[in-house]
Amino acid sequence: MSALAGVSSRRRSTDQVMRGLLLAGTLIALVPLILVIYYLLKKGLGAWSWDFFTTDPTGNFLGDQGGVKSAILGTIEMVLLASIIAIPLGWGVGLYLVEYGRGSRFAAVVRYFVDVMTGVPSIVFGLFIYIVVVLNGWGGSSFAGWKGSLALGLLMLPVVTRSAEVVLLLVPDGLREAALALGTPRWRVTMKVVLPTALPGLITGSLLAVARAAGETAPLLFTATIVQSTTFNLNDRMNSLPVQIYTDIGSPNDQLVARAWGSALALVALILITTLVARLASRRSRL
Amino acid sequence: MTDENHLGTMDDQRPPATGSDPAAAPVGAPRAPLPDREAPTAPAHDGAAAAVLGKQTAPGIAVTDLNAHYGAQHAIRSVSLDYAPNRVTAMIGPSGSGKSTVLRCLNRMHEEIPGAVATGKVMLDSDDIYGPSVDVVAVRRAIGMVFQKPNPFPTMSIFDNVAAGLKLNGIRGVDLKERVEQSLRGASLWEEVKDRLQEPGIGLSGGQQQRLCIARTIAVEPQVILMDEPCSALDPIATLKIEELIADLKQRFTIVIVTHNMQQAARVADTTAFFLSGELIEHAPTDQVFTNPGDSRTEEYVTGKFG
Amino acid sequence: MAHQTRQHFADELQRVETQALGGLDLVTGQLDRVLEALEHQDVELAAMVIANDDLIDGRYLEVHQGLLSLFALQAPVAGDLRIVAALLHVMKNIERMGDQCVNIAKTIPLTGHEPPVREEVLERILRMGRAARWEITQAKAAFAARDVAMAEDLLVRDSELNLLNREVFQIAIDIGVDPDTREWATHMVMVARAIERIGDNAVDIGEQTAFVVTGLFREFSDSSHPQRQM
Repeated sequence: MSALAGVSSRRRSTDQVMRGLLLAGTLIALVPLILVIYYLLKKGLGAWSWDFFTTDPTGNFLGDQGGVKSAILGTIEMVLLASIIAIPLGWGVGLYLVEYGRGSRFAAVVRYFVDVMTGVPSIVFGLFIYIVVVLNGWGGSSFAGWKGSLALGLLMLPVVTRSAEVVLLLVPDGLREAALALGTPRWRVTMKVVLPTALPGLITGSLLAVARAAGETAPLLFTATIVQSTTFNLNDRMNSLPVQIYTDIGSPNDQLVARAWGSALALVALILITTLVARLASRRSRL
Repeated sequence: MTDENHLGTMDDQRPPATGSDPAAAPVGAPRAPLPDREAPTAPAHDGAAAAVLGKQTAPGIAVTDLNAHYGAQHAIRSVSLDYAPNRVTAMIGPSGSGKSTVLRCLNRMHEEIPGAVATGKVMLDSDDIYGPSVDVVAVRRAIGMVFQKPNPFPTMSIFDNVAAGLKLNGIRGVDLKERVEQSLRGASLWEEVKDRLQEPGIGLSGGQQQRLCIARTIAVEPQVILMDEPCSALDPIATLKIEELIADLKQRFTIVIVTHNMQQAARVADTTAFFLSGELIEHAPTDQVFTNPGDSRTEEYVTGKFG
Repeated sequence: MAHQTRQHFADELQRVETQALGGLDLVTGQLDRVLEALEHQDVELAAMVIANDDLIDGRYLEVHQGLLSLFALQAPVAGDLRIVAALLHVMKNIERMGDQCVNIAKTIPLTGHEPPVREEVLERILRMGRAARWEITQAKAAFAARDVAMAEDLLVRDSELNLLNREVFQIAIDIGVDPDTREWATHMVMVARAIERIGDNAVDIGEQTAFVVTGLFREFSDSSHPQRQM
């Protein structure tokens, strides 16, 4: 009689059942995603045209409605400014938490509040900026692009901070020790050893925050609102894709609705490209 | 502290053994004086490089009443010991005996751990590295360290890794290429990497990476090199290569090595210090520790009668 | 220590030591037999002693191999190292003692069937034999118990042996003119010398005992400086 027993049929069938269940669950989860992509493509692709990308919305209800150039550019401008605000700040907080504050109570408190902030609804950020910055007319304007960037920046900050902290923690302590043991001051260790090592991961985390900010509507409603024309003046009202979609989708005009779908597709495409770049950057990471 | 723990330089004359008079022969001095273990008969692998890099003799370190804490835990209790210049001193002991902590106190790395404190006097030459106005960074440039797990900087090439100590600290006026080559020769790595200096440092094998870290350490021209179990992550051949290297390096540096491997301590060290529960139990010439240790606890440990 | 970390090594070391010290028992057996052969002029017994020396040589090889294995496989240090090194010496001493017994046995057939025995010589020889036997037993006990005092005492006993040896020599010189008697006396001088050598080997074992315990190797007496005895 062999000492190695075969797999019992009961175990085999249990294995099959579990596999089946897991597969079913995965498919169920994929269905909404597939449907979303399907609808986006079906309804949005038709709206894409050369004009779609190169002309501003005209605001006309009938006749030529124009494209969404100002929305695309506006999104890019505002998200860019938000990134410039949030990413260095976020990396800075992350660096503090990992390099200097490890184990301190203050750092624990900061981390807690950052965690809380990741859960705050985006509309709250919008309202905050609206009340503090817009209503008080900071910068000599009421609604402005830069105020939208502020709101988006606030949204991005906790996400960037959290991902930065995770990546910086992945940098092995051995590297820090090696640099310290060579007689390097701590700030130099951080700047010249830790940061370069963590850089690909930091960039990935930041790009994911960027992708998120690009798609937020609520903060922009109260801060940058909407405008038709392309503008590069951040102190003025600025258009953006989410707001444009919001405006168009409720319209009784089918063409505007179609344009909204096209904008949605454009936004998703933008986010897709950003995420792809993030993935490629993370592959170069040595952590 | 008994005399055993303050070892003078190895050049001190041993009292001649007097044959049959038991009172005159101190414990531990055998009848026939043992051959001088550290007489450098073989030249360094690259004698030329060694000569050019200068610093043929290094200072020793004298530790007096060192105490170290991790928060409330008293890890090192009143340790006093002398590390002889241009010699290899090994520190052995079971886990938790404090030998690594003592090592880290020698270049003030211990205090990088949050909540860790060290007090006492650690004299490098005539300077107390725990003195009130001493720059920690300067201490670490004079006292280098090689770690258990090889840790070359992953974003840097082999060349940049070796030069890291100089570049990171903005040290100018040094011919980097020459210094890198000398350091790699000093670490017995030059021949293996001279044609691929721009390749990433982490592409080397474990043993090569550790020698790279040694090259990086000696590139800043320290006076003392501390080694924290440098071979425990390496295979036996790589280990032996590094042990050979240590025998060469001691001509230029004072070396302190912590090791779990008693056979390694027996092979490389001139003197061996045995620690237990944060205290120094015995410090004596290595052959004495392994043939006739003075303290019964040392005997129990080296013969493996307690783990 | 109830259960040591290296129990297997400790057991093996103990086994080899017991085996080595057991060689001393073989020697005492040989010595007893050769003294009896001497006393009764028993040529057959003498031949048996010569043949049995193979046992001692065999024991030597066994123990030697065991010690080499311990060196190679267990890397003994400190006290253990001293024990292993000492046992190498001790085994050599045992082998020599065995050879001396053979040397004594060889003289018996040479002295012929009815040798002109002189009581004062034979009596001293037998006394030397008994003293040497006692030394062997004491050396074995001292080593096994790691008793330095007992080991050092061997020198006292050995001085007795040396004294008797000189007496035999003196008597032999003045033994007279009869050639047979002179021949026999000369053989007896050699026998006395052999027994004295056995005693010296026992003292050497005592020195090894002191080495194991103290880590110092010291000759209990230095034959080149006889006045500087312990």
